[in-house]
Amino acid sequence: MNKYVESEANQHVMKLIQMGADVKIVSGQMVYVTFDISKDIQLAYVYNLNRKNKFFLERIKPYPMPVKAFNTPDAICEIIKIDVEQFKNAIKSQHISKFIDLNIEFHNMLLTFEDLFLYYNVKADTFGGIKGHLEAIRRTIHEAKESVDRVYFKKNPDNLE
Amino acid sequence: MGDDILGTEHLILGILIFILTYITIVSEKIHRTVIAIFGAGLMILFHVLSQVEAFDKIDFNTLGLLIGMMIIVIVIRRTGLFQYLAIKSAKLAKGDPVKILIYFSILTAVASALLDNVTTILLIVPVTLVICDTLELNPIPFVISEIMSSNIGGAATLIGDPPNIMIGGETGLNFDDFIINLLPLMIIVFIVTIIILRIIYRKSLVTTEERKREMLSFDEHKAITDYKLLKKSLIILGLTITGFAFSELIEVPSASIAMFGAASLLLISKIEPEEIFEKIEWTTIFFFAGLFILVGSLESIGVIEFIAEKMLDITGGSIPVLTMIVLWMSAFLSSFLDNIPYVATMVPLIKTISEGASVGYEPVWWALSIGACLGGTGTIIGASANVVARGIVEKNGYKMSFIGYFKIAYPIMILSIIISTIYIIIFYL
Repeated sequence: MNKYVESEANQHVMKLIQMGADVKIVSGQMVYVTFDISKDIQLAYVYNLNRKNKFFLERIKPYPMPVKAFNTPDAICEIIKIDVEQFKNAIKSQHISKFIDLNIEFHNMLLTFEDLFLYYNVKADTFGGIKGHLEAIRRTIHEAKESVDRVYFKKNPDNLE
Repeated sequence: MGDDILGTEHLILGILIFILTYITIVSEKIHRTVIAIFGAGLMILFHVLSQVEAFDKIDFNTLGLLIGMMIIVIVIRRTGLFQYLAIKSAKLAKGDPVKILIYFSILTAVASALLDNVTTILLIVPVTLVICDTLELNPIPFVISEIMSSNIGGAATLIGDPPNIMIGGETGLNFDDFIINLLPLMIIVFIVTIIILRIIYRKSLVTTEERKREMLSFDEHKAITDYKLLKKSLIILGLTITGFAFSELIEVPSASIAMFGAASLLLISKIEPEEIFEKIEWTTIFFFAGLFILVGSLESIGVIEFIAEKMLDITGGSIPVLTMIVLWMSAFLSSFLDNIPYVATMVPLIKTISEGASVGYEPVWWALSIGACLGGTGTIIGASANVVARGIVEKNGYKMSFIGYFKIAYPIMILSIIISTIYIIIFYL
């Protein structure tokens, strides 16, 4: 490890330990992967390879999304391969920009909601209201699924039954 | 005739490659390790010396000692011992900045006497930054004091600084010799240095009671990450240092003691060797190997012998004169140049001068060690530890300029060499 990175890490570790944290430093390789699937859309992933057999893959572009935590590094390429195939398929749709914009909005909404709870004394009925809106969105997604044709068959959806 | 021409060609080529390599190392335009190996490769490629001769020139005692100690230190670093000691001493000082400066300097000097200086700086400076941040203090006085303490502490033992390892490796001067001859002097130099720094920085070493209370809330026990590993590491470190102290008695060279200590620690700690070996500073090891070949080439073609004869002419064979020249020249050059290539060149030179002499050249060796190690404190580029310390503080947003450091450190360095001159005159000449 670079001397200065190590020194920076030492400072962080000391501060975090004194804050009460249990800190474990895992040496490994941070891998940054990009695919230009169209002129405007780039897919980017980041994952960490290490000897502790716990790997985290995250898609960071076109919108941030933790893809999966898994115990074997072999699955990384397969997951990325399927993801890229699905996006290459999806860009054929004229609605791809709307899809990406909406995902970014979902992500920003989560950050806003977190700020609401962490910075303000939120009343119980606020949660109920938001949950109601989420249920409505879920219903819309399921109804949409039933009314359109499936376009990708190599793998079943992980989150949409 | 043909052999003469070939010999002259080798002589010119050897000197040319050596000078160009050293100039490039000093210029810092290319990584010093790359250029040292490249220069060594040229020496072999142009048949200044053969590959067999080149490998024979590498001092494996120096490399073995460095690698062995690096392995032990890498394992100890994982235990959090240094953080524990730093927090403990800051708490013992009750958050008083002056006392913290003194305690951290002592900790740095002692650690540098046992570990290499760069490692010590990498361990103490981050802790210092956190403590200073908590106490709302400028860390620069602390870091300057730590740089100087690290160089002074490193000069006190065989294993504290690479120049001493090289001198020990070539001369047979052992761990005990270094302790007996250099430790008392370094204690004096350390005390004088700290007193001067304390006077210079007296106005900036002030904090509030509230900041002190926050610092005192630190729990040093939390810093220890693995008590079992700490126990094992300290036992092995203790046994290894004891081994150094008795190396002559047990007739085992220091490199073997360090390597055996390292292997034992890996064995009982059950840490994946790969995790440790990838952290060994291979660039330093290869830098040394390259330098040994470069300087060895000069030996092979008779340049070292030639310079040695000239030095004998200049000094008239007087050991006191030679000792003083070596001391002051080493201090001056090492304050601006990397002391490793300098000492790598001086060791065979002094060895050649001393060959066949009926009187002891020990004072000259001590002068080389003192000058090369203490000289490094004079400027911010004088030693690797200084450069690393500046890099860390500047990455944290503080400015440590060449001139700013020079104004404080150079006069102290000169004073330390004056003290050393008096010490050498009293005890050796």
